[in-house]
Amino acid sequence: MADLPREPFDETDDAERFDNYLDALISGERPSPDDVASGEEASMARTAAELAAAASVAHAGVQGADPDPAFVEQLRLRMRQADAGIASVQVQLPVHTKPAISPTSAPTDVTRIRISRRALLQAGAGAAVGLAAGTLGLAALRPTPTQRPLGGDAPLVKGQGFWQSVASVAAVPPGSAVRFTTASFAGYVVNDAGQIRALSSVCTHMGCTLYFRPDWKDLRCPCHGASFDLQGQLANGRDTWKQTGGYFGDATAYPVSLPALVRPSVKIENGQIYVWTAQI
Amino acid sequence: MATSPDPPSGPAADTAPSPGRFEEIYDAHVVPIYRFIYARVGNAPDAEDLTAQVFMRAVEQLDTTRDMGQIVSWLYRVSQNAIADYWRAFYRLPVIGADQMGAGWEPADTAMTASSAEQPSPTTGGERAKKQVDSLLRRLPANYRRVLELRFIQRLTVAETADQMGITRGNAKVLQYRALRKAALVGEAADG
Repeated sequence: MADLPREPFDETDDAERFDNYLDALISGERPSPDDVASGEEASMARTAAELAAAASVAHAGVQGADPDPAFVEQLRLRMRQADAGIASVQVQLPVHTKPAISPTSAPTDVTRIRISRRALLQAGAGAAVGLAAGTLGLAALRPTPTQRPLGGDAPLVKGQGFWQSVASVAAVPPGSAVRFTTASFAGYVVNDAGQIRALSSVCTHMGCTLYFRPDWKDLRCPCHGASFDLQGQLANGRDTWKQTGGYFGDATAYPVSLPALVRPSVKIENGQIYVWTAQI
Repeated sequence: MATSPDPPSGPAADTAPSPGRFEEIYDAHVVPIYRFIYARVGNAPDAEDLTAQVFMRAVEQLDTTRDMGQIVSWLYRVSQNAIADYWRAFYRLPVIGADQMGAGWEPADTAMTASSAEQPSPTTGGERAKKQVDSLLRRLPANYRRVLELRFIQRLTVAETADQMGITRGNAKVLQYRALRKAALVGEAADG
């Protein structure tokens, strides 16, 4: 111990735990936030992460400083698919042919057609005339000081936007959700005990498409099992788990906290639900 | 049809407004964006996640009719936000503003702007990283510097590091813990 400066209290346990973080980092694995216990340790983790990165760049031959070619190809395919799917829109069937969505029905009765971006823009331009940016849906926002959507304080729609009709109110009875896609956005309109709200259908972890579970009243990620409540907040994270002792049938809590889902503005007019969406 | 983003060309544009444009952007920037993120999160799995977030977001939101300069600064801005969210959400740090991200103990000239990020060459990247490491380690006491060199540059295990330094494993863990605490403070001090 001669070369260690004396400290007022013993740090062995902290140092032991924090070494798990460092071990993962240095061997190129994903470190766990569980091994970081305080704000001070978070700064240390950040310093360690930057040091590990700089050391691996400076001393070539370490995996990770450059992207894995397989990853680059995989992401290219995901982007290509997303790009192709973006010009589709949810439309209402002219006649109400499907039974009203009951809380136990599977979330499959969603009709999608593909239209060109140009046709969508024309339709949107008409719908946008004379409409100010009302924020009916946002009135119900609960304060979320730390869990903002990715990008912080930026408005949900930067620059030009318009109201896009996405569903009729009748198609979304309480406890149900209908999927929609606009030119710039994919999401669900949900009816949360009488309140109509729009939520992004993109998981804030890795971008997988969430599906609606009527029984649990949540949006669930098929990739890693995150669940978002109908306010858009992560519902099965560790914090919730601590309070409630579990989340429905899940075996474990979702291991990390995630930003909330993006919630575009919604308004209802003449029995139609409109979502404020960006013009692209 | 006064919608501005319409491509100027003929009818072919109707079904595919910007064919290949995303991939052009992607090919040009996926590697520098990944490196930019990796330098700030320090591990490949998280760097891959965040890189994917940035480009999936680009598919949803990026106006590809803009010129490349604007697109590049959009990509870096979104990357910085993703990195800030990463540290905020995973480590529950109070707030890290995008302007503080990656500043730390780096020399000021590496603070990332869109234009400087645009053409990162592998050589200058490597040299800059070396400087970063040196400038941090130089400011630490000898035994702190030594333990971080062994762990981070030589990538030795705690056991090997302890052997090299002639101390116990427990002491090596405490030493690296204190070294990083000091390094984080040094970085903050250099910041202000």
